[in-house]
Amino acid sequence: MKGSQVRLEGLSKRFGKVEVLRPLDLEVQPGELVAFLGPSGCGKTTTLLLIAGIYQPSSGGIFFDGKQVNSLHPKDRDIGMVFQSYALYPHLNLFENIAFPLRLKRIAQAEVRRRVDQVAEFLGIAQVLFRRPGQVSGGQQQRAALARALVKEPSLLLLDEPLSNLDARIRLSARSEIRRLQQDLGITSVLVTHDQSEALAMADRVAVFSTGQVQQFATPEELYHRPSNTFVAGFVGDPPMNLLQGTFTEGKFDWDGLTIPVPPGHPGGSGYLGVRPEDIRLGGEIPTRLGIAEPLGREVLLSLDLGEGKTLKVLTPAGTRLAPGASLGLELRGAPLHFFDAEGRRVGS
Amino acid sequence: MGLNRRVWPWWAVLLGLLSLPIVAGYLWLVLSSLSNQMHGLLPTGGWKLQNWRFLWESVGGRPSIWGALSNTLIFAFGVAALEVLISAMTAYAISRLRFPGRGIYLGMILVLHSFPAVSLLIAIFYILRLLGLFDTLIGVILVKAALDIPLGIWVLKGFFDGLSWDMEMAALTDGASRWVIFWRIALPLVRPGLLALGTFALLSAWGEFILPYTLIISNKTWTLSLYLQSLIGAVDLTDYGLLAAVGLFYLLPVVVLFLLGQRYLLDIYGGGSKG
Amino acid sequence: MRRWSVAALFLLPGSLLIVLFFLLPVVLTLVLSATNLSTTTFSHPSWVGWGNYQELLQARFTPLILKNTLKYVILTLFFNVGMGLLLALITAFLPVRLGDAFRALWLLPRITASVVYVLIWQGLAAVAPYGLLSDLTGNSQNWIQQSPWAVVVLANGVIGASFGMLLFTSAIRAIPSDLLHAAAVDGATTWQSIYRVVLPLLRWPILFVSAYQTLSLLTSFEYILLLTNGGPGFYSTEVWSLSAYHQAFSNYFGNAQFGLGSAMAAVLVVIGVVVSLIYLRVFNFKELLGEPKVEVN
Ligand SMILES: Nc1ncnc2c1ncn2[C@@H]1O[C@H](COP(=O)(O)OP(=O)(O)OP(=O)(O)O)[C@@H](O)[C@H]1O
Ligand SMILES: [Mg+2]
Repeated sequence: MKGSQVRLEGLSKRFGKVEVLRPLDLEVQPGELVAFLGPSGCGKTTTLLLIAGIYQPSSGGIFFDGKQVNSLHPKDRDIGMVFQSYALYPHLNLFENIAFPLRLKRIAQAEVRRRVDQVAEFLGIAQVLFRRPGQVSGGQQQRAALARALVKEPSLLLLDEPLSNLDARIRLSARSEIRRLQQDLGITSVLVTHDQSEALAMADRVAVFSTGQVQQFATPEELYHRPSNTFVAGFVGDPPMNLLQGTFTEGKFDWDGLTIPVPPGHPGGSGYLGVRPEDIRLGGEIPTRLGIAEPLGREVLLSLDLGEGKTLKVLTPAGTRLAPGASLGLELRGAPLHFFDAEGRRVGS
Repeated sequence: MGLNRRVWPWWAVLLGLLSLPIVAGYLWLVLSSLSNQMHGLLPTGGWKLQNWRFLWESVGGRPSIWGALSNTLIFAFGVAALEVLISAMTAYAISRLRFPGRGIYLGMILVLHSFPAVSLLIAIFYILRLLGLFDTLIGVILVKAALDIPLGIWVLKGFFDGLSWDMEMAALTDGASRWVIFWRIALPLVRPGLLALGTFALLSAWGEFILPYTLIISNKTWTLSLYLQSLIGAVDLTDYGLLAAVGLFYLLPVVVLFLLGQRYLLDIYGGGSKG
Repeated sequence: MRRWSVAALFLLPGSLLIVLFFLLPVVLTLVLSATNLSTTTFSHPSWVGWGNYQELLQARFTPLILKNTLKYVILTLFFNVGMGLLLALITAFLPVRLGDAFRALWLLPRITASVVYVLIWQGLAAVAPYGLLSDLTGNSQNWIQQSPWAVVVLANGVIGASFGMLLFTSAIRAIPSDLLHAAAVDGATTWQSIYRVVLPLLRWPILFVSAYQTLSLLTSFEYILLLTNGGPGFYSTEVWSLSAYHQAFSNYFGNAQFGLGSAMAAVLVVIGVVVSLIYLRVFNFKELLGEPKVEVN
């Protein structure tokens, strides 16, 4: 296995006076694919460029295989990077674009040919190798950028929203392609995305960012089943988790006058109760009125009105035809419930 | 323009009249170089190939024009190459690299860009003497290139500013140093700028008079402008044919180059520095 | 540190030339202006302090030269800017290709070597029966000798007009056509739209061209040197910058006065530095200086 281990220790970044990244600790294991997931402007690209050495950290350290690389020049870090804009060299054809990292290493022409042909074949762009970037499709540009990053067999692959400029269908196939490639080659990879389904589908572990901070760093399952705070709970999952603000007392949760029985392990006093739309069942005793029903294909997303401005989202299988305003009963017993304290931190298991 | 376009033929006529003296001047140069004598714009006394005798013989003991031509070529291409290369390196640094004092450096370039360099001629003369470069082509080349470099930096900085940062970052992660990026990525991508500046520098050096006139003495180092100037001072009125022929010989390459590079050039002359 | 050494490598050749042929000369001009350096004292100049400047203040020719300089700068400036404006406005009306052709024609004199350009003037201004001017007017004279000022101003003006022409043309092209349409809808004639819409919008370019040309006219002397060399007669077209050159390089008495010439040049250098610094203030300098996004060199 060729991938290196990457460790960030108290890594932070300021631009002038603005702190864009608060001190951050994170470790990527050899061969692992880690996704950085978060809303726009939260510092994902900044972190990636710090790892690449293009930005200098304001404090903290970056370690590759235990060695500090803070002052190592980007060209000596043995990384491959794919940019959101692909950043191909417009004056070179795809072949020369992909060959560029090899030429810099002064590899013999025959070997360059062999390796470029091989990676181009693998990514399905062999027929367009002698066209300029401006003369091929977006998908082909994306593959060329990936090929250029991979051709020198780097020990770390950095991908900055590599799929966001592709249309939905190619994006799905490109996802699995990149994942397969990364696993075959065993390259340690960091993938930046703001598309959670992409992060959850591709990554071994996901770091959820919000405004310059990592909120949770865990496997997709863990993020889904045990979000460590209300930000992650609300951000991961589509449609997002219902987060009810209210007061916990001895086995009960009071949500604006509505009392919901809760199992032990909950916090005391004010806090949040979280429940995913897909975990709520219809046909119970909590009375509600149907607001709107949004068909999502296999499922329907219902917005239920509980009076006094309280609403809940519920996901049900498609097929039940419901008129707006219809009375529906809810069942919360048996549904996995998530507890958060007043600061939004997860409480209990 | 959204102005009334139907009146344009009248404007064209007016402009044609205004431009007539320029046309007349260049027409005079061409006709005069071929004819025995000119009365106004009318050639009289038949054609005269002897006007072009400077091509195959020495005129009044002057060195051959081919020597002056080769000096001019060396001068013009030397200046253009030096100016383009050095301006590009400096402009790249100002546009793309971080270093302390970057703002001050750019400010200095801007000041020098509008600063009238001819007023420094006396001091430059003195410095060349100290350096032992007085009366040498290399000396004038260095001076001419130096005086035009602020303009070159200014023009090329605009081109480098337009390059994508993502691309530069990609090249860094591909394993390139800034030096390699400059040569293999940045320079090829600002080619239009290099061509424009190169053509401008060639034209400007080709016609340069004051610098060689002041900094060159020996007639072996003469450029075409010095050759022609020495003739103008020595030949009497009736031999305008010879002067015109030399002038035309000197002018033709410029016209060709100008027509080829006109598209790029208009912009640079708009920001240029000549009176 | 390695970080700056890369930048230093890029900056080295340019900085060397700039120091050698700009910064050093500025200092040297000021230094030389305080000496009596001349052909005769070349190996052993001595300090004269403000002596050269005092000499200039008292010299018989100083008022004449100042008057000539003022005359030259003002007249040529008016011709340059006015003609540039006229050319830009007219070519804007013409079909694109014709407009470009006229602009190219007016750029030709600037690109022509100065010696050849002046040769053409000499040819046209010669006495009858050779010169076209004498022919057309029926007044046989050497026009350069007889009307040196007209020739000096026109010859420089034709060169300088192209500068304004190009700048004004791009300024006119930048005027949104909506504005002109609106004027046309309001019933404005062509002349009225030029006067009410175009000219006010050209205010800044006109100011810029005037300022820029003033400085360069003040210091340029190449065409005067070639056309009249300050003559005919005693200093009739001698301007300040040409006089500095003459003092230093071809003094009438054969003794090159580098010190005195430097004092004259120093006046121009100081004006040049001050005016350039003013430009810099007026420019929106911060905008030109975005931070490089890559933090390593
Ligand atoms: N060079 C810079 N100078 C100043 N501020 C910057 C710079 N680069 C980024 N920022 C700021 O830092 C913050 C984080 O930017 P970053 O590009 O890392 O966000 P991101 O998470 O990648 O967002 P997106 O999903 O939109 O790409 C933003 O607020 C941005 O405006
Ligand atoms: Mg980003």
